[in-house]
Amino acid sequence: MNVLDVIKKQVGSHPVVLYMKGTPDFPQCGFSAASVQILQACGVKDLFSVNVLEDPAIRQGIKEYANWPTIPQLYVNGEFVGGSDIMREMYQSGELQKLLDAAGTTQTA
Amino acid sequence: MVDAQSVRRGIAAGLACEHVEVAGDGRHFEALVVSREFEGLSRVRRHQRVYAALGERMREEIHALSMRTLTPEEWRAGG
Repeated sequence: MNVLDVIKKQVGSHPVVLYMKGTPDFPQCGFSAASVQILQACGVKDLFSVNVLEDPAIRQGIKEYANWPTIPQLYVNGEFVGGSDIMREMYQSGELQKLLDAAGTTQTA
Repeated sequence: MVDAQSVRRGIAAGLACEHVEVAGDGRHFEALVVSREFEGLSRVRRHQRVYAALGERMREEIHALSMRTLTPEEWRAGG
């Protein structure tokens, strides 16, 4: 399986996928850390994160997959949502919460 | 070391902009890009437009580019 197929399978088999540097507990980049915090603030359950620092093929492949040269990258139900700036803007406007709620990916209050 | 002015010129050369500001420390940059070409585009498509303007430099020289992408109307409205 080539790396783009691996990515397609990852984003297709988990409702919320974050490609990041480090892990949610030990992020190794400020942008990745901020993205994890936003998803936690939205009440996302079952976040599937991929540490690109552990997998150079994924690290390169993910840039091609979404035609997006930077990390982190967020996918919800297989769709690319954006990187760190877009996540922050959508969080501040409430759009991200709505998107995640609609996708059934957050804790029910 | 990349300076913010050269990133600004790179964006302006590849995209018809009404206004571009870039600040940064050589590796991390912050940009405000105002372009009519963003009209009708999603945030993702807008950022992809700026990345495309920078081309290979985005892969090789620039570690992180944080940006706000606005249409002239959004900018004037205080976007």
